[in-house]
Amino acid sequence: MGLDRRTFIKFAAGAGAGVMLTPIPWKLLDDSAIWTQNWPWIPSLEDGENTYVYAFSKSDPSIVPIQVRKVNGRPVRILPVPGHPLGGGVSALSAAEAQMLHSPARLRRPLLRGQDGKLQEISWPQASNVLLDEIRKAGAKTAFISGDENSSVIEVISALAGALGSGDVYLMPSDAQDAAVAASLAGIGARIGYDLESSDHVLALGANILENWGTVMRNRRIFKNARPHSFRKAGEKQGAGAASLFLAYAGPLQTNTAAVADLWLPLYPGTESVLALGIAHLLLAAGKTCAADDFDAFREFVAGFTPEKTAGITGVDAAKLKQEVEKLLAAKSPLVIVGSEFGSGAGAVPVLAGLAVNALLGNVNKPGGLSLLPKSAPAFTEAASREDIHKKSLIRFLAAQEKPALLLIHDANPVYALPDPRKIREAIQAVPFKVAFNSFMDETAALCDLILPADMGLERMDDVETPYGSGKASYCISAPATKAQAGVLNAGNTLLQTARRLDKALGFNTYEDVLKSKAAQYGKVGFDDLAAGVPALSEEKATVSSFSFKADILKQAPAAEAGGGALRLAPYVRMSLGTAVTGIPPYNNKTLRADELDGTLMSVMLNRATAVKHKVAAGDKVVLEAGGKKITAKVRIFEGVMNDTAGVCLGFGHSEFDEFSKNKGHNVMELMSALPEPGTGLDLWCRTGVDIKKA
Amino acid sequence: MSAKKEFNVKWGMAIDLDKCTGCGACMVACQAENNLAPQADASNKLRVMNWLVVFELSNNKAFPDHETAYLPRPCQQCAEQPCATVCPVVATERNEEGGIVSQIYPRCIGCRYCMAACPYHARYFNWFDPIWPKGMEKSLTPDVSTRPRGVVEKCSFCHHRFMKAKDKIRAKGGEVYVRGVDNKMHCAVPEDGYVTSCAEACPNGAIVFGDLNNPDHTVSKLVRGNADAFRLLERLGTDTAVYYISKREWVRRLGDNYVPDEETQKPRQILPKKH
Repeated sequence: MGLDRRTFIKFAAGAGAGVMLTPIPWKLLDDSAIWTQNWPWIPSLEDGENTYVYAFSKSDPSIVPIQVRKVNGRPVRILPVPGHPLGGGVSALSAAEAQMLHSPARLRRPLLRGQDGKLQEISWPQASNVLLDEIRKAGAKTAFISGDENSSVIEVISALAGALGSGDVYLMPSDAQDAAVAASLAGIGARIGYDLESSDHVLALGANILENWGTVMRNRRIFKNARPHSFRKAGEKQGAGAASLFLAYAGPLQTNTAAVADLWLPLYPGTESVLALGIAHLLLAAGKTCAADDFDAFREFVAGFTPEKTAGITGVDAAKLKQEVEKLLAAKSPLVIVGSEFGSGAGAVPVLAGLAVNALLGNVNKPGGLSLLPKSAPAFTEAASREDIHKKSLIRFLAAQEKPALLLIHDANPVYALPDPRKIREAIQAVPFKVAFNSFMDETAALCDLILPADMGLERMDDVETPYGSGKASYCISAPATKAQAGVLNAGNTLLQTARRLDKALGFNTYEDVLKSKAAQYGKVGFDDLAAGVPALSEEKATVSSFSFKADILKQAPAAEAGGGALRLAPYVRMSLGTAVTGIPPYNNKTLRADELDGTLMSVMLNRATAVKHKVAAGDKVVLEAGGKKITAKVRIFEGVMNDTAGVCLGFGHSEFDEFSKNKGHNVMELMSALPEPGTGLDLWCRTGVDIKKA
Repeated sequence: MSAKKEFNVKWGMAIDLDKCTGCGACMVACQAENNLAPQADASNKLRVMNWLVVFELSNNKAFPDHETAYLPRPCQQCAEQPCATVCPVVATERNEEGGIVSQIYPRCIGCRYCMAACPYHARYFNWFDPIWPKGMEKSLTPDVSTRPRGVVEKCSFCHHRFMKAKDKIRAKGGEVYVRGVDNKMHCAVPEDGYVTSCAEACPNGAIVFGDLNNPDHTVSKLVRGNADAFRLLERLGTDTAVYYISKREWVRRLGDNYVPDEETQKPRQILPKKH
């Protein structure tokens, strides 16, 4: 039989139809779909046993209680601990903590600056010897800076400094520092706390309580529980389910807190203390009084802060202020929280003014009011208390002519986080030998001569003692969720070991022993239970026989002049962009909206009237200038900004870390300069005036 | 559009916009749960992969009368899906009890018709291979496969959690679907047995998840007959499973294209009265 054209076509058609009746083409199609999506560079998933560990996110300054989900021992997810007194949900920063363990910016080997000025990897024994030699050389001229105000590492540092004869131990500026200094000035031998749980009316002055002030996750849980979901039947004007908490927020920007607050009082940046004095004026006029030592002097001084005068300085409408004070007076458990708008730089005076307002409201140590919490004793007899460390200004120490011989910086990034970073950089560079004990390569570590890679919060056992903003004294242990990565060590253990090698043993062999000693102070809950996630809570309140409004210091509260610029600078914090010590976590830069960052250009928020007044328009590239320092930004029109005010986001402008943090906008701290706050020993950088012009 | 499928169980969300502060915890939790790769430059939103995005809303009034709100937008899990209708390879469909719109990555040919069809812009194309920084692949969950460049992705209401919840019941010897008093089959997964990652993470309790068809579930109580509840682009008839709640009229008005004097629409009474 010959194969003619007709037969061939019939055969081909038959074969084609036959093949189509078999699974072959579908199988091939399926295989090609699978194999063209199965490339070796795309990671495969690894299954395994699921376990859960209770811990804390120490990367988030608000200290978030978390559950770490592990698969085959690998932390993969950060989950909330709903019932925890300090928690409820997770923050955008803590949610990324499992991934941050593997951040490209993580330090994994000790680094020593060589003769050529370059950092070279060395071993831990070598690094320990270098550290030991430098401490021996510097002796009492060793200074310490820490960014961890909540754990006992600061006590280890303080004890080591004491053993060396150095009193130079500093914490990074924070709301907790402002409050500690204010409490000390007022003669209150206690920590300031806020019983938000029982309050029915909270007025937050500057303090962005749902984003970056205090125990944010706890604040949010309280807000959540106090505000039922709106339910309104068709035809009805008002829904059912009234909120049990009225939230008012005063600040220059419509922040996250303002977005859900019942009332937003637009307030010029850095004028929280003046607004508090204006409130005190109205409370006094309503007959409120209290037993402060200098009550008469305070009353006389505050008499000048009429609503109209207050409005002139703060921008807060006098009528709205009166209404708000009436609501405070009518509330059962009113509470006024005063804090900085961006976590630092407001000084102690606003907190002092807030203390006065709360005292006049009669809510001190009352349910829903301002709580005075007992201080805990340090585990080391030689260690200074946290309150005493807070009293010293890091800015002034760095600005001083005389420099320490050795500076050990732990979990802090002063070169990025403090105002006028160029000056801070120069000050730190002038120190002969600098050591960084960090988890990430940040701007400060990059300046240091010796870099010691520290374990992250999830890799170590650590503690959390009454974070600022809490309503009750508490002590919690954060258990390690995973083994520390190779090459990183615990700062507490390393410092204790260093002290031993210096023949200045501090009385504890390991950092865990320190924690056990601290835990013993909170005897009700055993160490094992604490380590398993059970918090130790104390209902104890400190009593105060007398206190002072410190009218003499309040009188010196500078008027809210905007430092000479055409606009008032209003920086704000987005916790999703990380902190100075974490940089922007890899998973978090997607949370930025398109109008917040355009490529490498950050935005500056102006309202339309302000933009028109200064002849700029939406999308314009502009230069913001203050004191000869400049940053560029793109104009974003946002009507939630006060007139003549420029809203700018902190957290950009990193020159170190990794590709997720670098080359994104500018560090707004570059525009700010610290000024001494009269009478408190602290510094202010919350009142900055800037000029704006098209780039 | 394809014929609408009704299910006895309809997983859905109610997102309270009066509670959301736009903190972004839900977005980060979503990425970590569903193995979305990080991107160094996330400012070009046309190239960024996000299953859940939080938008900023404005009442468009000048200072000081301005108000703002935040709107998290996952896939709306439409019962009448514009996306599934146009998919040439049936890579997305809604045919499983629970009403979740699937996305089957190995089937997807990356034509992006579904993206063009989705009125909520909830679908994203993988422009880049998902690359994690060295070592970060250790933090991937074993629950959601990684997807290659060239396919479309979207929120799945954390469908793997639904599967796990069902497995949990089966492991205890129970039945996943049980007959209810209405003589219909219902899912035995309890209300707290299946929660999406975003709802779990939200520190403000703004996201409530559950069975919209189960009157005992909070989500159902919140949206049933609530004049403050609304859905996005309701009048398109997509019959979404994501409701938003706000007592603020201007927020509700932004949910659809209303003419100036038109009242905001009340939620359609599509939910069965009895379970």
